[in-house]
Amino acid sequence: MKLNTDFMIKTFLAALKGIPVTLEITVVTLLLSAPIAFFMALKRLHKKGIGSRITAGYVSFVRGTPIVLQILFLYSLLPSLLNYLLNRVLELDFDVFGVPPILYAFAVFGLNTTAVLSEVFRSALLTVGHGQMEAAISVGLSRRQAYLRIIIPQAMVSALPNICNTTVNLLKSTSLAFMMTVKDIMAIAKVQAAYGYNYIEAYLVVLLIYILLCTLVQLLFKAVERYLSSYKKLVTC
Amino acid sequence: MLEVKDIHKSYSGNEILKGVSLKVEKGDIIVILGPSGSGKTTLLRCLNFLERAEKGSIDFDGIHTEFKSATGHQINEIRKRTGFVFQNYNLFANKTALQNVTEGLIVARKVPKKEAVDRAKQALDKVGLSDRYDYYPSQLSGGQQQRVGIARAIAVNPDVILFDEPTSALDPELVGEVLNVMKSLAEEGATMVVVTHEMGFAQDVASRVVFMDGGTIVEEGTPHEIFSRPRDPRTIQFLRRILREDYEYSI
Ligand SMILES: Nc1ncnc2c1ncn2[C@@H]1O[C@H](COP(=O)(O)OP(=O)(O)OP(=O)(O)O)[C@@H](O)[C@H]1O
Ligand SMILES: [Mg+2]
Repeated sequence: MKLNTDFMIKTFLAALKGIPVTLEITVVTLLLSAPIAFFMALKRLHKKGIGSRITAGYVSFVRGTPIVLQILFLYSLLPSLLNYLLNRVLELDFDVFGVPPILYAFAVFGLNTTAVLSEVFRSALLTVGHGQMEAAISVGLSRRQAYLRIIIPQAMVSALPNICNTTVNLLKSTSLAFMMTVKDIMAIAKVQAAYGYNYIEAYLVVLLIYILLCTLVQLLFKAVERYLSSYKKLVTC
Repeated sequence: MLEVKDIHKSYSGNEILKGVSLKVEKGDIIVILGPSGSGKTTLLRCLNFLERAEKGSIDFDGIHTEFKSATGHQINEIRKRTGFVFQNYNLFANKTALQNVTEGLIVARKVPKKEAVDRAKQALDKVGLSDRYDYYPSQLSGGQQQRVGIARAIAVNPDVILFDEPTSALDPELVGEVLNVMKSLAEEGATMVVVTHEMGFAQDVASRVVFMDGGTIVEEGTPHEIFSRPRDPRTIQFLRRILREDYEYSI
């Protein structure tokens, strides 16, 4: 078998144009998910109330279902449902089917990432001993101040490796966005490949781009981690 | 200055403090002794509202507070008047020694930064750490960490400092430096309530020794009264056991 290198170069250049879309989905999803996930993690730490139980149920539901299935459900069911709700029940004049598909991508990946991150944050908050909270309170800080100044900064450092994992996983799963007709790296490559059945070459190109992107993300997180964890210096003398 | 009356505290139906009353005058050094599980830690934690007692009251310079119904404001007032030194130091791991001490001044008490830094440095100097201002807890020995913990507690000028076994997490050779710091604080007139198993410290420094067992105060008196003429059989048994351990340890 011989690879069509001309095609590969062409596809590579074309697929590069999908990078901004892939990154947009990744970044927007993270920005949407992180605050909600953090709030959920706090809810689950203070075990009382139904907030904690609802959160736990949501997390195990989302994590227990394949993301492909979530996409299929959300993308095929939600528009019809919304259409019915908004236009029939509420009698608004809203074109549900004109919603840009990338919004659906934000929704699906956001649902998943929120669930994963809430677990990440929860265990990170647990790594900071309760004793530091008590010490903060005993010198007069409020709980809120203690969280903001003492607990969260440390929890974030210990969460970074897991946040990095989550980000890499998210970045990779955005390649499913083509199912929702989003024009990301994967979608562009597939279209290119379809002209002359050069699927192998197209997938190789996509593979290369994802490896590059994921490596970059990991390097970025390493740098941030090194910067933030300066207080963990070892005894030098 | 400080008087607690009839503290009761249970955990899931299990009564741990069964009506403890304690009076502390300015300049008192009260050492609390007692076997493991007798409720010493719980007592200190209730005083600082780290746990909420179900019954009892605390009078601080004539200000009366019921544990059960204390408001957030009342709790803050009492916490402002008390410092707490923890068995496991509980230093803020993401802050330097200096920042550990300034935190309560700047954030909680709104002391201007420059003044806070000066006061924090004084406190650290007092515990012998003038050369460790910018070290993180992970760069300090256990004894040094506990001394930062003491500096953090005294910097806010509390009326009384509560110590919960401040030396029991330390290697034996580091115990002395922490006890010396506490001794010099006592000589300067600080008011302290100290839970410890260091009998030497109790004998030398305490103005009053309190012996607790099973969630009540069994006996209290001067160090001389408790160590030379204990009356209650539980005190006698406890002292015999602990002094024997000390003796065996020293040979
Ligand atoms: N958060 C808690 N939940 C349930 N039980 C507790 C809790 N904290 C303490 N206890 C119980 O209360 C009792 C007294 O505990 P406390 O820590 O006050 O003892 P102590 O006198 O400080 O003992 P030690 O010398 O070992 O430190 C123990 O039996 C302990 O099991
Ligand atoms: Mg204890």
